[in-house]
Amino acid sequence: MDTDSQKVRLGALGIVAVSLFLALFARLWFLQGIERQEFEAASVSNRLRVIQTEGPRGRILDVNGKVIVDNRTTIVVALDREQLREKVSGLDERDEADLEKIRTTLWSDFEVTATALNSLGVQPPLTAEDIWNRYTDKRYSPQEPVPVAEDVDPLVEQYFLERAQDFPGIIVERRTVREYPYGPLAAHILGYVGEINDQELLERGAVVPGSDEVPESTTTIPGQEPKPYEAGDSIGKTGVERAYEADLRGTPGERTIEVNAKGEMLDVVSDTPPEAGDDVWLTIDIDLQAHAEAQLARTVEDIRGGVTEDGRDITAPQGAVAITDPMGGEVRAMASYPSYDPRMIVNGIPTALWDELQDPANGLPLNNWAMQGMYAPGSTFKPVTALAGLQTGFINPANDTYYDQGTYELQGCTGGKCEFRNAGGARLGSVDLPRSLTVSSDVYYYWIGENLWLGRGTWGDQALQDTAFQFGLGDKTGIELPGEARGRIPTPQNRKEAYDANPEAFVTDEWFTGDNVITAIGQGDVLVTPLQLANTYGTIANGGTVYQPHVAYQTSRAIDPTEPPGAEGNFEVVRTIEPVEKGQVDINPDWYGQIFQGLVGVTQEGTAAAAWGANPTAWPFAGKTGTAEVNDKADTSLFAGWGPAVAGETPQYAIAVVVPESGFGGDVAAPLTFDIISPASNGQLDPVCPALDPERSECEKSKADAYARLAAAQQRQDEQAASGGVQAGGGTQAEDGAGN
Amino acid sequence: MLTSTERSTTPRVASKDLTAPWHHVDGVLIAAVAVVLAMGSVMVFGATRHTDGKTDLIFRHAGFLVVGVAAGAVIAAVDYRRVLAWWPVVYGVAIAALVGVLTPLGATVNGTSGWYRLGPASFQPAELAKLATILAVAAYLGAAERVDWRRLLVALGLLGAPLALVLLQPDLGSALVFAAISLGMLLVGGVRLRDLAVLGVVAVAAVALVLGSGRLDEYQQDRLSNFLSTDGQSYNVTQAQTAISSGGLTGYGFGEGPQTRGGFVPVQESDFIFTVVGEEFGFIGSGLLVALLGVIIWRIWRVAQLAADHAGTLICAGVMSMFLFHIFENIGMTLGIMPVTGIPLPFVSYGGTSIVASCVAVGLVESVHMHRFSR
Repeated sequence: MDTDSQKVRLGALGIVAVSLFLALFARLWFLQGIERQEFEAASVSNRLRVIQTEGPRGRILDVNGKVIVDNRTTIVVALDREQLREKVSGLDERDEADLEKIRTTLWSDFEVTATALNSLGVQPPLTAEDIWNRYTDKRYSPQEPVPVAEDVDPLVEQYFLERAQDFPGIIVERRTVREYPYGPLAAHILGYVGEINDQELLERGAVVPGSDEVPESTTTIPGQEPKPYEAGDSIGKTGVERAYEADLRGTPGERTIEVNAKGEMLDVVSDTPPEAGDDVWLTIDIDLQAHAEAQLARTVEDIRGGVTEDGRDITAPQGAVAITDPMGGEVRAMASYPSYDPRMIVNGIPTALWDELQDPANGLPLNNWAMQGMYAPGSTFKPVTALAGLQTGFINPANDTYYDQGTYELQGCTGGKCEFRNAGGARLGSVDLPRSLTVSSDVYYYWIGENLWLGRGTWGDQALQDTAFQFGLGDKTGIELPGEARGRIPTPQNRKEAYDANPEAFVTDEWFTGDNVITAIGQGDVLVTPLQLANTYGTIANGGTVYQPHVAYQTSRAIDPTEPPGAEGNFEVVRTIEPVEKGQVDINPDWYGQIFQGLVGVTQEGTAAAAWGANPTAWPFAGKTGTAEVNDKADTSLFAGWGPAVAGETPQYAIAVVVPESGFGGDVAAPLTFDIISPASNGQLDPVCPALDPERSECEKSKADAYARLAAAQQRQDEQAASGGVQAGGGTQAEDGAGN
Repeated sequence: MLTSTERSTTPRVASKDLTAPWHHVDGVLIAAVAVVLAMGSVMVFGATRHTDGKTDLIFRHAGFLVVGVAAGAVIAAVDYRRVLAWWPVVYGVAIAALVGVLTPLGATVNGTSGWYRLGPASFQPAELAKLATILAVAAYLGAAERVDWRRLLVALGLLGAPLALVLLQPDLGSALVFAAISLGMLLVGGVRLRDLAVLGVVAVAAVALVLGSGRLDEYQQDRLSNFLSTDGQSYNVTQAQTAISSGGLTGYGFGEGPQTRGGFVPVQESDFIFTVVGEEFGFIGSGLLVALLGVIIWRIWRVAQLAADHAGTLICAGVMSMFLFHIFENIGMTLGIMPVTGIPLPFVSYGGTSIVASCVAVGLVESVHMHRFSR
């Protein structure tokens, strides 16, 4: 072989070598110079893990700063199913034969665990079967530990921590759960907390594990940083817990760690500790709330099983009370019967309890009937009808009277129902507007109802309903608590719309004179919630301003987070929730005087006089009874009103009380209203003490002091009366006693 | 080119013999190898010091370096012609070792039975076989002026036997190294271009046959198909590219590379050693390493031209082809432009047999350079 040929061939090899090296350089430059940022991001996500720790939830306080929802730590013994699954790897839980094998394999472990828990005195006692049922429980995600025993003693925790290797798959966790110092009080208002679900994660801008869905948006308070969520976090599900979630939610702590390929921690990159959420101060007075709940429960339980005057069974499946401040819409108390104990569900709702809570036979205790229950208002609707008559000018308050013969015949009636009667057919004689309210004349309102319809050429075909709409009836009041019902105000238009949408379900799409007549007395298709009713009477009381009811007035946080937030003065207000005016009802002073006179008369000489007569409230009370007929059932008993009803004095409470299937308004709801309002009116509300030991003694002491002060005051008054001093108070008492 | 007859006429001066081997050491080659070996040690240290159970590898690596450098120096000192004379023995031993490793004597690592376990150490006969084959082909083809078809067949036999044996392990990477050596040596050896073309066609057909035969293990097929479809890159390649790319221009600095610290790149101290350079020293460091490897290739190519005889040229061509393929394949796979095969980066990767064999190969080339004026 000649030298030249060899040179050429070596040259070829050299060219190959140069080409290959150039390729390497080019690729190296591409990766490190051009694509760098992309790969750097991959490198970061490789090694950095962000661990979120939930911040403590803010507390919920009553109007006077009493803590009604707090936090506490609970110790939970749980099954770590991931760890147990390693023991039975290769077996498929969905396959029945495999499931049996898994059961056999794990059974002895479960028996050992059950025996250990039982010997440690954990309640309720457990069997291996119970633990197996938890293992197969589908309600928990596969990665999530399933609680086996909750709220166990710290000794149990210590026992399992020391013998971890003897109990494979058993872990002991500390969880923070809600604490309710007043037990079940105000459960419906407060609501409860539960694990965040996929929908809630999306709504709050968090990614759902195992899903490609893009989060929608982040709900938050204007001007505040959104607080991040991740799967497994807790979130308010109902009530205040949900309505004020953005305030109550703590800011999660973020710990960024660097891990190696095995997931072991190498370094802490950054560590932000969690921050507590803001405290929410309710407008609720826990003493009044406690009293309202107790009186409602007592009343319902007393009357159940009885028979009404017209021979119907009193079943009283529910009852509701709503009390608001007429001057701003602040809800002072809201009671719903039956209730439930939120302490039972702080660790999640056990299936058996859930079924019980969802069973209509138990009266659906999770429902807040005060804002979710819809009832025909009956005669409590009459002030609205009266105002419609006044606003249209059909009634002239100065001189209009109507002679009530007990029945009312429609003008020129050609068919259908032509005659409408008073309850019990009572002949009430000549009635003017105040009198019609005081003695609850139906005929007077039939007369208004018919004439508003007959005058529809002048006033439109829904003159009556327009006044109801001014009060916000037929729509949500806008209270911040979730799940509020709208109620219903029937109009010719919405009847036709409902019929057109579903002709099968309705008899007719026409509106007749009779419809206006029964709507005028709050019957027919009219439905209101107790909260709407209280708000309506609050609106009348304040002279026509419709406020949006609300249950909270401010949020606060601790100035010094290291000190307990309850410590004296250690809080600053974060935001104030101002009353919201939703509208105005046209009530001129003349009309106000008429209605005022009529409603005060109700408790003094009218349909609620019996309830008020014996022991009157410290101030006059304006109100209206209602007895709503519900087909084939006992009547719904209602009462709504406000106090103090004294000219020139600011009304303090507007109240609505509804007890369905229980009888006349004057028999059930009016006495119940009196029982609730009476101690509130004279400052004798029983202070409730938290059920927890440490605070209880102090509370009981102040309670005793309060009683002592009251007794002393009473004694002084008695002494003054005995010494012959002429006291207005004494005189009133004597008068009322005579009227009894 | 000087011939030995010309050299013998040169007057000999006892005190200053210009033909003496030590006057013709290729210092650039040795310096380049020394720097790359030093860099390699640093990288192996960087890759292993955070990994439990691997922290003592750096000491073993140092041991291999001592053995390798010593062996390379000895080989360099010996005239390559004397080494070539022993080729049948060396080649025979290598082939026997390749056969033996397929028997239960061999140990299986990652599905490949390519190792002998000798107490705490292990030995990869394929590395020895590469050198033995280079020597054999160099000796055989170097002895003749022309390569007729009979000589070509024998040469192909010498090259094909170890290639087939490593394929049986199965070790695809080493088989490809043998293919690269064959190509380089047959080209430089003077095989007619027409014959080379025919060989090329046959080789492609053979590869297609092997791929279709199902003889390749699943993991090897995966590695190949992973390369062919870029979207389904394997974890290894993704992690390797992530490490190199995120190093950027200057790198994270020694011991600071997050991918390296976290152990995200598998077998980083051996097959994926280049990722340590890329991540911790960036384009500057990894470019420098590639450049130094280029210097080594260039010097070997230069020795091939300077060699005193055809056999010396062929030794250099074989060694050059071997290194070239190792370097391009190993770095190429970490950069995602070559399929993943388990062959080490010469002088840099952890691995005793590789280090010693690479040093011995450089020793051979150095011997060709040093002894080009010897008789």
